Amino acid sequence: MKLFRMFSAGASGRHPVLTRPRQQVFLAQKISRRYCLAAVTLFAIQSVVALAGALDLVIPDLPSPIPFEFGRAIHLGFAVLWPLIGTMGMVYYFTAAELNREIFSPRLARWQFGVVLVFALSVYVTLSLRIGNGREYLEGMPALYLGIGLALLLAAYNLVRTLWADKHHITPAAAIMTVGILFLLILLLPNVLHYDNPTLDEAAKFWVVHLWEEMAFELTTAGFIATFFIVAGLAVREKVEKWLYLEAGLAVTGGLYSTGHHYFWIGVPSLWLVLGALISLLEVVPVVMLVQMTYVGLKSSKANNTTGIKSKREKLTLWLILSSLLYHVTGASVFGLMITVPWVNLYVHGTYTTSAHAHLALFGSMGFLVLAGCYYVLSRGSEPTQAGYKAGVLAVLLLNIGLIGMGTALLVAGFLQTYLWRVLGRDFMQVSLLLTPYLLARVLAGGMFALGDFLLIWQIYAAWWRTRKNPS
Amino acid sequence: MPIGGKNYVRIIPLVIPAIGSGGTLKLRSFLILSAFSLVLFVAVTLLSAHSPVPISLQAAAGKRVWQRHNCVSCHTLFGNGGYVGEDLTNIVTKVNPPQLVQYLVQPPVMRPNRYRHHPALNRTEAENVVSYLEYVHTIPTLGWPPQPEKAGDEP
Repeated sequence: MKLFRMFSAGASGRHPVLTRPRQQVFLAQKISRRYCLAAVTLFAIQSVVALAGALDLVIPDLPSPIPFEFGRAIHLGFAVLWPLIGTMGMVYYFTAAELNREIFSPRLARWQFGVVLVFALSVYVTLSLRIGNGREYLEGMPALYLGIGLALLLAAYNLVRTLWADKHHITPAAAIMTVGILFLLILLLPNVLHYDNPTLDEAAKFWVVHLWEEMAFELTTAGFIATFFIVAGLAVREKVEKWLYLEAGLAVTGGLYSTGHHYFWIGVPSLWLVLGALISLLEVVPVVMLVQMTYVGLKSSKANNTTGIKSKREKLTLWLILSSLLYHVTGASVFGLMITVPWVNLYVHGTYTTSAHAHLALFGSMGFLVLAGCYYVLSRGSEPTQAGYKAGVLAVLLLNIGLIGMGTALLVAGFLQTYLWRVLGRDFMQVSLLLTPYLLARVLAGGMFALGDFLLIWQIYAAWWRTRKNPS
Repeated sequence: MPIGGKNYVRIIPLVIPAIGSGGTLKLRSFLILSAFSLVLFVAVTLLSAHSPVPISLQAAAGKRVWQRHNCVSCHTLFGNGGYVGEDLTNIVTKVNPPQLVQYLVQPPVMRPNRYRHHPALNRTEAENVVSYLEYVHTIPTLGWPPQPEKAGDEP
């Protein structure tokens, strides 16, 4: 803790005489590398699966070993589980860094990795064999999600015991990351049950689809961003810590009740129209705080040459974080709020508009952040070469262009669908056939995205390879 | 103490116990706030999700068929799911149940494919899933899906 304070003070430029002390590498941080490596690998496979699915949508009679309905399920399974595995690694890494000590049990963390990987892979294998449970985003067998829950339980126990070991020196970032993991567990558990009542089934599903992304992962990534900004000299520890619990509190309450915008039409009372629409506004506050903090940090870092980011590794991480902020503001907040207005949602709900929002908000906000964290963790102790850095920036650019392309194509398709099918009442299939050019454009943008994906993963692998012997 | 001017700032920590010194939350308050929000949220959700009409055994069996065959990847219910096929929330008002069963037992080729058929079900599965769709239709959805302005008109 003391060491870390010294470190952050040095980086923030208030005590320029202090040189950066050599940071200790904890076992937790070594173990977190395998989580991050698994996560980025699954992300690379996801883009292949997604691209195949997108092609299947536009090419009639495309032969495929896995039918579309299970292929899409695998794509969504990846979308949910790779950020989870990456998050587990990030939380261990940054908790050890924040507290400047070892976690309670590195051995448990190793076991947990085995558990989460086995059950995640089982989800994909069973779905490939056409065995599933048919709940969107949670298509795998319930028992497998129980296994994922077990991994989360191990993580929660390990982290709580870690914090408990020295109750008087819990930093806000470490605390909210642990609470984030606890929430991931609590929100997943109701989803291993079977519900006969479709309304309750839909509601419980959104406890993962919405609340994992817009609440639990917000907490874990807020911890990561806070730690990164302090270490990179973009923010002063005291300032960040002053607001972190408030930000986290808003993320929790705002996240919880804004689930209402997913409840609108599933058979609940109209109270949820009001709650969902109004509380969604609250969700934007933490985003504004984050953007403000970044803006001030970057401005002061530019103005002051001694504190600016020098390291290419930190710069590349920052590019990934800034990409995420872009979609936090555009895809998640502005676009999200627009379609949250009940009168708008009534028409756009259940069209490709929602799909556009899902891609921009899910990968845009959360995916980029987990990638940033995983890159940071796996590249510890090495700097990218000039060519490697350039390739990394190009990869981030390709991912952004691909994502914006996919989002725009789906958005146009969604608006057309909304107008022709929902407003004018034309035949569903007739309208669907008109959407083919836009879905084709989505495939092209998706190809661009996949290219960026592979290029980035290659850079991350290279960083991992360089540091595999001695990540310090 | 007069309330007004800058003095009101000082009473905020007294009024809202969750806010401590310096205008920020403390860990304990954050945990209490989070736990309270979660419990209240889950309670309100459970109360809201209570169904006025209990689901029949056949419809419940149909829901399991719906899930086993991953129908949600292509079709939406309440607008949630895939967009390849049509929304099925109110399909029983457009196609009568025996026709739906027939469609599922002997599925036709799906447009715009020329060879690929809709996945097939056996008769019992088909009857169960149609019973489930009939049940879904009875759930009040606050006016969704919207009624088209010129329903039936060809542009």
